[in-house]
Order: sequence, then structure tokens, then C-alpha cells
Amino acid sequence: MAQTSKEADPLLKELDKLERLSSFTSSAIRSTTKTKSPSISDSLDSLIASLKDAKQAAETGQAPEEYVGGLSSAVDDRKREVEERQKEIHSSLARFGRALDKKFPNPLPSYSPLFTSPKAAAALEHTIVSHFIRTGSFSVAETFLKESEMEAPDELRRQFVDMHRILTALRSQDIGPALEWAIAHRDALRSRMSPLEFHIHRSQYLRLLLSQPTPHLVLRYARRNFPALYAAHASEIQRLLGAVAFIPRLASLYPDFASPNIHTDVEAMFARDYCAMVGMSREVPLRVVGDIGGGGALARIEKGNKVMRDRKSEWSQTDELPIEIPLPPRNRYHSVFACPVSKEQSTEDNPPVMLQCGHVLAKDSWRKLEKGAGRVKCPYCPVESTSPPHRVFF
Amino acid sequence: MSATRIDHAGTLLLEQPFARIPYEQFRKTFRTSQKHIERELGAVQAATVDLVKRAREGTCDAAETARAIDGMIARAEGLKRKLSELHTNTTVPVQATIRRRLEDLAMVESLSSTDDPRFESWAETRLDRWLVDWALRNGREETARKLAQEKGIEKLVDIELFAEVRSVEEALNRRSCAEALAWCSDNKMGLRKMKSTLEFELRLQEYIELNRAGRTVEAMAYANKHFASWLETHNHEIMQSMGLLACKPTTSIASYKRLYDSQRWTTLTTNFRLAAYMLHALPTVPLLSLALYAGLASLKLPTCYERDAKAKNVDCPVCDERGLGELAREVPWSHHVNSVIVCRITGKIMDDENYPMCFPVQGYVYSREAMEAMAAENNGRVTCRETKETCLFSELRKVFIS
Repeated sequence: MAQTSKEADPLLKELDKLERLSSFTSSAIRSTTKTKSPSISDSLDSLIASLKDAKQAAETGQAPEEYVGGLSSAVDDRKREVEERQKEIHSSLARFGRALDKKFPNPLPSYSPLFTSPKAAAALEHTIVSHFIRTGSFSVAETFLKESEMEAPDELRRQFVDMHRILTALRSQDIGPALEWAIAHRDALRSRMSPLEFHIHRSQYLRLLLSQPTPHLVLRYARRNFPALYAAHASEIQRLLGAVAFIPRLASLYPDFASPNIHTDVEAMFARDYCAMVGMSREVPLRVVGDIGGGGALARIEKGNKVMRDRKSEWSQTDELPIEIPLPPRNRYHSVFACPVSKEQSTEDNPPVMLQCGHVLAKDSWRKLEKGAGRVKCPYCPVESTSPPHRVFF
Repeated sequence: MSATRIDHAGTLLLEQPFARIPYEQFRKTFRTSQKHIERELGAVQAATVDLVKRAREGTCDAAETARAIDGMIARAEGLKRKLSELHTNTTVPVQATIRRRLEDLAMVESLSSTDDPRFESWAETRLDRWLVDWALRNGREETARKLAQEKGIEKLVDIELFAEVRSVEEALNRRSCAEALAWCSDNKMGLRKMKSTLEFELRLQEYIELNRAGRTVEAMAYANKHFASWLETHNHEIMQSMGLLACKPTTSIASYKRLYDSQRWTTLTTNFRLAAYMLHALPTVPLLSLALYAGLASLKLPTCYERDAKAKNVDCPVCDERGLGELAREVPWSHHVNSVIVCRITGKIMDDENYPMCFPVQGYVYSREAMEAMAAENNGRVTCRETKETCLFSELRKVFIS
């Protein structure tokens, strides 16, 4: 799949040609390549050889008129060759440029400076340094703080140094620190219904299972650690114990146990639980916003703005986007209620209300439908409500 | 499912400078080679023409001819060395950068889902690139270098380009146009294509400075030499600037006072930066800011700024009022014509299967899944997390969102 699209990419094709043409010596040119003129290195070598011949003729006392004519035409020819080669490169460059124009038909929008007010600039710097710390780039964070003459957000730093210490250990197959942390936070993890502790043990058990020649040590590990977890993970523990009997055929009988994901998932789960415990978001916030913005939102907003400009109707609410940007479900953080009648988003002044039949409208829409004494015929079903509607909270 | 599909056109929108910058560097290198060739081969050709002429006239002796040919050999060999060095030191690495970047884009274009681990790592690198771009534009060059080096993405970022732009800007701040003019000549083709008048503005400034220093004769010679090619497009400015020859910097005539105004230097620096960015398809604001603008506007809801802390969601980037939430004050609100109801307990979006259910008195709504799980653990009783209202599961009302 990747291969075909790579071959079809006109830019890469143009680049191939450009590389062949601009290679300085002919030895670098593959035999399949057709160029109209010889390599510049060859032309120059030939020029130098002609010059050296002429010099020898001069030194051996030949009459100038015997060789200068030949030299002159050799110089002209080589110069023309070099120029032709340069012309070929030039037009190949231009073709590449046109392919670029075609690939990128739209320029990036130019906005007036963004996030430059003192408050916004400080918030952006804070966000960036937190990002470096959160993603474990501690030395980059250090450099950034020094260059920005900023104070380190100590609490954040301490937490993430701790988190990365545990993660690094996990990655090098040392479950000790992670397990210690999971046990220290056992109650909180249980209330989150997080199976972290069990998953750490499962990962370790499977590593032992795949590396130990005899099941002796593996079973000892299971006896020591699984009983406390049995109540919550009975069936999974039974499968894990059953696997002991089939070690050579583990990959075919228990493909999930043989997969490396079972170990890396523990890392992700730990990071998620750790962040939740210290009141941090599940995903890296700068990534979330950047991925949405760079994944189509900017293009859509630009398109929406253009349509609005073309219609010459300035978008009535300039502080609201003209279009809806689709978001992945995991990035829907809040309920949004848009009234099915008026299409307006609910507000405190115009809250969602539920009719007797269970259908929800914005209060303003309900008022317009009301026929007196709170009687409203539901626009979506045959039921007529006879009492005032019920405010709901999402 | 469709929410995880990669929007390729939307993604590519931000990648134009990524692909274009090394291409512009390649063009610049080509121009350098062209200059070397024109100069050296032109000289060799002129020397042969001279030899032929003298041979015809019979006025050359052997030693002199040998010396002349020696000079030509030195030129040809020098040219070969220069071009070979240029090729090895610049052309080859620049081509490798172009290839690396095009392959990077081709890879992401071959993917279809944002859930693909290859997309995940690509997006991570993309954010690192944006951070480097931001750092370079905001005077955090050390941070940029460190980040690029730590992540091994030097070929994917343009530290040298920004360093070059900065050194020209510094020269302009020292009131020297020479570096900017050299830059204009290096990028002549590109500047002409975008109809930039930067070079004229720089020339005009040098001319103004000669007048300021009272070097009127030199100023006239300068105007003569450099303004001719701009007469067609900038006739009015040139004619007006001629008046400077008769006016001291202390003049009170408004139009000349404006020309002598030192504010012009600041404008010149800005214009230079804009031209340099535009030449490489770089936006005027950092790529990170553009992405954040669009991303925050897609997410921003009045709920994120509600005073009631319970309305906030720790996972929502906009709800962080000390960080991204502060930035989001500068962007528009998101727009919605469709309802999406997210369960406060499970975080899941409710639908026909997992429908919303409402407490009978206070009216708080939760998902069926959350309520069923709660009822199963509490003998059929459910409790509202916000109001502590409690009732039987069977007393909850099913809510219809159309």
C-alpha cells in the first residue's frame, strides 16, 4: 500500500530525475538514466585535458595557429555542454516546483499575531514547558526555562520525574516501582475500576512463562500474587494458569498472551492512572489540540471563512465558528445540546427542557409552541404535554 | 469510525513549508553553481578568444601563451573543485532532506486511520517540529537545537534557515542593508516570482542614509546605479526621493521627514522577515499557533469557562484556565448544530443503545450504562452524583434527544 503510493508520488519521481541530473560525476549516474548532456565533471575533465594538450604544444614550441583554433572550439563545445546540463537541471527544478504547487494548492492562512498578549504568551510558555516535562524531555524543559528566564513549576516536575522513573523501569522490564505505586494507591485504583495491579502481575507472569525452562518459578509467582486478585479477575487468572501446560504452542493457542502489546499496554495504563491520580488529563493536551487543529480543523475553518466572505455576508456571530468541526468521540469532553427546532445551542437563559413524552427542546422553542396553560404538542411524537416542561441537566 | 479517518488534505495544508524549504535551498545552491560556471567558463572563453586573436596577428610568444593557458587550467580546475565541493557539501545533503521529507509525507498519506501506531508517532514528531518552529521564531534557539537533537529530527526542522533570517535581521537592526541585499540576490528568482519589492526598499534606505550623512554626490551616483531598474514600477517614490538631495534630515517638510524617519528601519526588518517567510511558504505566525487556534476553536465551549468547577472536565484542554484555556480566550467558540450528550460518570457519548436517563426531581441526566451499573451494586437504587437525589432505577425517565 505504502509502496504503490510512493511510486505514484509525482514529487518523488521528479526528485529521482533531479538527483540523476544534478549528480556531479557520471559514475553516480545509473545506466538506465538518459541525460542529453554529459556530466559536468566529465565536461570539465575534457576541457582541462584540451588545455593541457595546448599547453604542451606551446611548450614544445609549436606554432600557435596550429593548436589555438582547436582549443578555441573545444572550449566553446565544453562550455556549451556544461550550459546545456545546467539548463536540464534548471527545467527539472522548475518541473519539481510545479509539482509542489500542485501538491500544495492552498497557501497557509495569514492571521494577525496570535497569543501575543502578555497573559496569553505566559500561558503558552507555561503550556510548552509543562509539555516538555510531561513527555519526559526534562533536559529540553531545563534549557527552555533557562532561555525564557522562567521558574520551574516544581510540583509538576516532581510528579513527572516520578512518573518517568516508574515508566523507564517498566520499559526495561522492572515492574518493582510500578507495583509499589499501584499497591500504595490500591483504593483509589479500585474506585476507578482500574485493573492496573493485575495487569502488572500478568505482564510479569507471562514474561516468566516465556523465559523459564521449567514452570516451577512461574507457578510460585502465581501462588504468591494471584490469590488476592482472584475475586476480580477469576476467569483471566484461570486462562493464565492454563497456559502453563501449553508453553510451546502459546503463540497459536493464546495469541494475546504472546503479543508484545500485553506489556506495552501496561505502560499506557500506568501513565493514564498516574495522570488521573494527580489531576492531569488523560492525553497530552498540546497533542490533543494540535492533532485536531492540524488534522483538518484549520482547513475546514478556512473553507468556512471563505464561503462566508464570498457570500459577502459577514458571519453574524463573529465570535463563533461558521461551521461545525467534527471531533473524534474521545475528544468530546462536554455535553452539547442543540435544540432540534431552533438549532440553537442551549444556554443558562435558554436551557434544555423535557416534555412529558421525554423529548427535549430549548426553552425558547417550547415557549413558541405553547398554546396556553402549558399545553404543547410535541413536534416529534403525537403526545401532547399538559404541564410546564421539566428542566434537564446534561 | 469516520472520526478516526485521516483528513489528508487538511493535514497537508500545514506541511507546505516542510516540503518547500529544502526545495528553495536547492534552488539557491543551483544559482550558486550557475554563478561559478558563468564567471569561470566565461573567463576561460574570453582568454581563448584573446589567444586566437593574437595567434592570427602573430603577436604571441610561446612562454606567454603557456602562461595564459596555465591560468585557464587553474580556472577550470578551480571551478571543478568548487562545483564538486558544492555538490558534496550542499546539493547532496539538501536532496537527502527533500527525499526524507517527501517520504515522510508519502508515509502519512498511505495511512488511513489516526489509530495506526505509525500515525501516532508521526503526529508526535509533527508536534516536535512545530515546537522547534515556535522556539526559533521566539528567540529560544537553544531549546530548538536541544529538542531537535534529542528527538533526532534535525533533517525535519529548519534551524539554519531561521538562523540566517535572524542574522540578517540583526544586521538591519545595526542599520546595515548589505546582508539583506546579499540575501535578495541569493533568492532573486523566488522574490521576483512573488513580486517582492524588498530589494527596492533596501536600496531606497541606503540612498536615504547617504543623504542623511550629507554625502550628496555619492547619493546621486547610488540612485543612478540602482534605481534605474525600478523606475517603471516605483517612479513616484523615486521621483519623490530625489527631493532628499536638497533636504537635510532636520527638514520640516512632511514627506521628506517621513523618509528620514528611523521608524523605516523597523518596517524594513518586518518586511524582510515577511518576505523570507513567504518565500518558503512559512506562515506569518508560528505553525503551532495556527494549529492551536483551529484546535482550540473546535473544542471551546461555554461550559469550559463555567465558574462551577464541577462542570469542568480534567481531560478537556480548554478547561485548563491557566494554560490552553487562557489561549482559547482569543479564538472563536465552537459551533454545533447537533447534540452530543456525554455521560458525566462514564465519559461515553450516549446513543440509542446507551440512552440518556433523567432523575425525576432535579433533572440530571446520565447514561443508561452508568445507571444500570449503579443499580446493580445498590439493590436497584441510584443516586445523582451532582445533587445526591436518590430513587429506584425504575423511576428514572428515558430522555429523547433528536
